[in-house]
Amino acid sequence: MKPEPLPVRQAFQPDFAGAMRVKPQPIIEFRCVSKTYHKGGSDIHPLDELSLTIDQGDFVALMGPSGSGKTTLLNLLGGLDTPSAGEVVVCGQNLEDLSSRELARWRCDHVAYVFQAYNLLPVLTAYQNVELPLTLLPLSRRERREHTVKALEIVGLADRMHHRPDELSGGQEQRVAIARALATDPRILLADEPTGDLDAHSAEEIMELLVALNRDYGKTIIVVTHDPKVAHRAHRELHLDKGVLTKDVDVTYGRT
Amino acid sequence: MRLLFFNLLRKPLRTGLTVFGVGVALLLFCFLETVLVAFNVGVTMSDASRLVVQHKESIVFQLPMSYRSRIEQVEGVTGVAGASWFGALSQEPASNGATREEFFAQFATDIERYLAIYPELTIPVEQRRNLLGDQMGCLLGAKIAERLGKKVGDRLVLRSTIWTQKNGSPIWEFNVRAIYTTDSPTFDQTIMLFPWKRFDEARQFGGGSAGLYLAKVADANRSAAIAARIDALFENSPHETRTMTEKAFNLQFVGMMGSFQLLLRSIGSAIVLTMLLVSANTMMMSARERTREMGILKAIGFSDGHVFLLLIGEALTISLFGALAGIGPAWLVANVLHFNPKPDFFPVFYLPNESMLAAAGLAALTGFASGIVPAVAGMRLKATEALRSV
Repeated sequence: MKPEPLPVRQAFQPDFAGAMRVKPQPIIEFRCVSKTYHKGGSDIHPLDELSLTIDQGDFVALMGPSGSGKTTLLNLLGGLDTPSAGEVVVCGQNLEDLSSRELARWRCDHVAYVFQAYNLLPVLTAYQNVELPLTLLPLSRRERREHTVKALEIVGLADRMHHRPDELSGGQEQRVAIARALATDPRILLADEPTGDLDAHSAEEIMELLVALNRDYGKTIIVVTHDPKVAHRAHRELHLDKGVLTKDVDVTYGRT
Repeated sequence: MRLLFFNLLRKPLRTGLTVFGVGVALLLFCFLETVLVAFNVGVTMSDASRLVVQHKESIVFQLPMSYRSRIEQVEGVTGVAGASWFGALSQEPASNGATREEFFAQFATDIERYLAIYPELTIPVEQRRNLLGDQMGCLLGAKIAERLGKKVGDRLVLRSTIWTQKNGSPIWEFNVRAIYTTDSPTFDQTIMLFPWKRFDEARQFGGGSAGLYLAKVADANRSAAIAARIDALFENSPHETRTMTEKAFNLQFVGMMGSFQLLLRSIGSAIVLTMLLVSANTMMMSARERTREMGILKAIGFSDGHVFLLLIGEALTISLFGALAGIGPAWLVANVLHFNPKPDFFPVFYLPNESMLAAAGLAALTGFASGIVPAVAGMRLKATEALRSV
């Protein structure tokens, strides 16, 4: 049965089907991007002249040892951080051209984060957490409710919507976090070790969910992970080391 | 907005105690303001078109009765009434057989002339007629009449601490003939007036003199010039005068309480400062605990401005509830229930709208001042750094 599209951005229909994708369009471009931090009197270079293209609808696993620049890449991608050199173009928008305020709104519209620690607001219920980013959009209360319930249904937690985070299991919390990420119907999901704090069973459920979102809803997904099993669920594996791309593997092709 | 309230309810005890702290501070502030207003009541009820003529050296020295007609002839003066401070205590039998004494202000004056100078006083026509027709009569303010339990037709016995009668007795008896009221919330309603003629004829000493003269002028803008002209009239006489506006006259007495008022103001300032520190401490702790959440909000699309508004909004909301908790009871007690802790000391105990506005302004200022530091810090916080915090 064909899944229903998310309601917010109707134009973004699930028109991809795994390996059957045709004419992929680049949605993310890193053009010679470097990032330098000054810490303790010395310079740290988490990214060093990195160039990279990720296509729309792709499912990418980002791997590498700690300090290799994975999280920095994810932060730059969502506009949470700015590059020291180079350009980051996402959904056709050079992020450098946006003011802080424009960037916040752009982020709300185009990308969403899923964190290892879930990062739900403890004072809000699952429903309220998912609804939170929708309050930034010009939607009526009824529309907000529709989108919130839809997102919670997609992650299979509609029946727990009035529970607070401390009343949910880790896997359920992460699913609420994914629902929050889905609520505004962003084109890109950025997941930073989303299964890192979960047991094997919950981790498998979360990965199934991410695969389904990519396959059925055409979301471009980038997952930072240390787990090869998680990475193997992606179409493409990018390996970073000391801020440099060391390996770029088309897993789908490999599997095929 | 909803997130703001949820955040405030995150630690309800802490939020509640902060609101309570701000509320108590504002309640004390309002109470101090009420006391200060009570001290200044003579000044606030003053009218720029009224002048007071007293002896140049001191108010304790008397002025000749002949001055009244001479002051009346000064151009611009429309009415004059002489008055003498009576300084007496009421004598009421107490339940234990002793005598209960109450202090309040009494003046012997030409009542008809006095009432022409003070049109604020409202007296029923019938009572006014009876008052003017009875030399043993007296006029009481509504509040002192209530305090003494007197109504029209009752007898009132006073013991003067200054004036004795010709028979040597300090006890004076009066008939309560009229009770005045006024629309002004700051006009003293604890004054007693009685006929000058009776006072002058019955007193043992000081006959033919008055403690001061009250003069009404047609144009308040010319008060200073008229005052100078009155003083010039009696220059180099045995009884030189000092004429001033009613406000300046009353300020002399307020000035005697200057240090006490300064003390009260200092206490008020300390209260406000404490309130600010309590509120600021809460806001800083609250914001610091939620550093990571600021990062989450920014990561899901909230702008720096949103975070700023959220934090400053929380501080202002605490202050708003604190203001309601403080100003509300103060208003209820002083203005609705008309509670007066010391009626013989504070003829008027009233919280003016200006003081309530000032308290509300202080609350808003406290909210803003306590919220601005965490709000700016939250606004400047980088999402990446916030998300790394534990």
